[in-house]
Amino acid sequence: MVGLSEGEKHFIRGGIAQDLRSDGRKRLQFRSISVETGVIPQANGSARVRLGATDVIASIKAELGKPSILRPDKGKVSIFVDCSPTAAPMFEGRGGEELSNDLSVALQRCLLGGTSGAGAGIDLSSLIIVDGKVCWDLYIDGLVISSDGNLLDALAAAIKVALSNTGIPKVSVLGASSDEQPDVDVSDEEFLQFDTSGVPVIVTLTKVGRHYIVDATSEEESQMSSAISVSVNRRGQICGLTKRGGAGLDPSVVLDMISVANSVSQQLITVLDSEIAAAEASEE
Amino acid sequence: MRDLQPSLNQTQRVRLQSALRQLHSLPSSSSSSPLSSVAVADPIQVNHDDNILKGHGTLDCDGEVVATLCGVVERVNKLVYVRALRARYKPEVGDIIVGRVIEIAPKRWRLEINFSQVAVLMLSSMNLPDGIQRRRTAVDELNMRSIFEENDVICAEVRGFQHDGSLHLQARSQKYGKLERGQLLTVPAYLVKRRKQHFHHLEQYGVDLIIGCNGFIWVGEHVEAGENVGMLVEDQKKTSTAEEESWSFTPLETRKHICRIANAVRLLSALGFTLTVEAIVDTAEASLASNIEINDMLGAEFFVQTAEREVQRRASMVRKKG
Amino acid sequence: MEYVNPLTGFRIDGRRPNELRQIKGELGVVANADGSALFEMGNTRVIVAVYGPREVQNKSQQNNNQALVRCEYSMANFSTGDRTRRQKGDRRSTEISLVIRQTMEASILTHLMPRSQIDIFVQVLQADGGTRSACINAATLALADAGIPMRDIVTSCTAGYLCSTPLLDLNYVEDSAGGPDVTVGILSKMDKVTLLQMDAKLPMDIFENVMQLAIEGCKAIANYIREVLLENTKQLESRRGG
Repeated sequence: MVGLSEGEKHFIRGGIAQDLRSDGRKRLQFRSISVETGVIPQANGSARVRLGATDVIASIKAELGKPSILRPDKGKVSIFVDCSPTAAPMFEGRGGEELSNDLSVALQRCLLGGTSGAGAGIDLSSLIIVDGKVCWDLYIDGLVISSDGNLLDALAAAIKVALSNTGIPKVSVLGASSDEQPDVDVSDEEFLQFDTSGVPVIVTLTKVGRHYIVDATSEEESQMSSAISVSVNRRGQICGLTKRGGAGLDPSVVLDMISVANSVSQQLITVLDSEIAAAEASEE
Repeated sequence: MRDLQPSLNQTQRVRLQSALRQLHSLPSSSSSSPLSSVAVADPIQVNHDDNILKGHGTLDCDGEVVATLCGVVERVNKLVYVRALRARYKPEVGDIIVGRVIEIAPKRWRLEINFSQVAVLMLSSMNLPDGIQRRRTAVDELNMRSIFEENDVICAEVRGFQHDGSLHLQARSQKYGKLERGQLLTVPAYLVKRRKQHFHHLEQYGVDLIIGCNGFIWVGEHVEAGENVGMLVEDQKKTSTAEEESWSFTPLETRKHICRIANAVRLLSALGFTLTVEAIVDTAEASLASNIEINDMLGAEFFVQTAEREVQRRASMVRKKG
Repeated sequence: MEYVNPLTGFRIDGRRPNELRQIKGELGVVANADGSALFEMGNTRVIVAVYGPREVQNKSQQNNNQALVRCEYSMANFSTGDRTRRQKGDRRSTEISLVIRQTMEASILTHLMPRSQIDIFVQVLQADGGTRSACINAATLALADAGIPMRDIVTSCTAGYLCSTPLLDLNYVEDSAGGPDVTVGILSKMDKVTLLQMDAKLPMDIFENVMQLAIEGCKAIANYIREVLLENTKQLESRRGG
């Protein structure tokens, strides 16, 4: 993340004001997205998403576990993001920890719903095997290999694609249900495709000057006064919201940004769906 | 800039492969052909009687000359060396480069120029704002920030290596100095060839294009050499509201041209073609002629078309020579 | 467990005892790095990014005569069969970082780049045995991609001894079988060993055989790496044009 001179910053701000960014995009235009599935064969599901020079991998692993006492009818999902030092020398050692935590928490907020598990983008009840005793623990791991801005959107897109690629093994329960830990037989052959119709995408709107842009590069991100990341699902419902940046925002501006994010996200969902379909078709 | 290859569909991939294959089969115009490519630890054929000088990228290993880099073997009279491709910039005296200030030290600025060390621009190698030739005083030293600040983009010339191994630059002419009102692009240094002219004023676009030998390329609004470069910064400090600032923004027409040229540079560097003014301007003109949106210049279709156009151009050059 | 089938001589994944897994190397996978490479040995997948030579960040470590080589090894959370959250800086990572750094430092001509630093960042995407070797092979590719002068191509391979047979290139199952695991790194043209590690017990004469097998594996990988580098150089040069 190199610094920018005043002249360059001025140029970027001018471009955003005139709706012509440095690479010719309009304010609400995404860079070209390229998607690959099954990049980690050992995982239950995985995907790699490239957004310009930003390159992220998401992997989903499912392991058997015990549901929490508070929510015996729901499985568990945990999301962790790691920024690899290959993306930038400043991520070496513990340098990338702050950013990784930031991204993990934002993704958890957008995809996993509130503390009670209500309103989660991922249907946790589908992960339960035996109420109160056995459930699936889903570990979602994100890895940032190369960074050029807009990591949150790329990671959320990668998670969505990886979930559509995920196969949860079929489980048949042996033993009586009165047992403490019933035996389960995990099938090696049959797999259930995860239902991803409810999984939201995240669109980050970065405010520069008086205008907002979508899919900021790291140069444009350095110019931001504030940013709002909105997670929207296919039905246009908002699943999560995060505001970053120190500048204050007028409430009417916030509402406007949310509605803009809503319309942009529908386009993004369409693009992702077609990429997922293309990837699945090429697999067969 | 490597992974900016857009995702191609099947036909585009086939077209690109065939274009690249044709490039490969064209006889190269330079003295070295891809046949003299070597990888690390490959032996280099030399005639041992001739007192061959072993230059960069070679190592004497038990009497045998061995390559230490992946690149192309060049022979100039008695000198044999390996020209590396994707390596950091190798400075030569007199090169015009574009750099970014990363630190201000006593009586000098330190610039990042894609070399293995930072380059140094001494206060005495820089023209003072008032233009008078005089000794630099302590007051000048304290006011260094008013000339160049951290993160400023500067155009300068390589002066030479000092005895302690550091690289020194000079910016004494009017055409060197701070660059504002534009964007800086980074490309691999091997794609920039040393030419007579590195400053290009593209009149038909009103755009300044500076191709630094170190791979930093500046595309910006045209500024007359010698214009007071401190103007913009002073204006910035006075204007604080967005409205006043918008008066000083680059006009939209010029901005469109700047973005087109910048995308042409990005595209050529992603394809691995040498960056010459002609190539850049041709690409930009081609995009204007086919009415392609500025953003779509980085898309798959124009990517493949540019590769095909380059094949045509090189083939016709070979025909002219032959 | 039968790691080598006594009738057919095949291993559990269908290979012969002296057969390498499928290897694949690719250059230029990380856009921002000076050099980068992806290397696969069977299911083991590693990405290495090289930043440098560049200005030394920590002036106290600057060496006026040669370049400073630094290396960091990290494993992704999803890289192993059981998903485990790894802490940065645990003992195994530090040890492997040191091993990779020393191995590459032996080959890099550091005296040509004084007062600079070369960073090698290793990221393991999938670990299925032979991770150390895959990292060294990928690092060689990445350093060559970055145009950093090296004495020789450094490659590495593992070998073991199970069911009375020397086996080349152990995968994870064979590695955890409890037999010896010999990791060898060589400078291929100069035919010199720069890395040698072994765990478990092995009689001396058998050890020689196993080490020899590993060295053969290294040479085969060196040939492949050389092909990849040469092909890449030709491609770049032909694209660049006259």
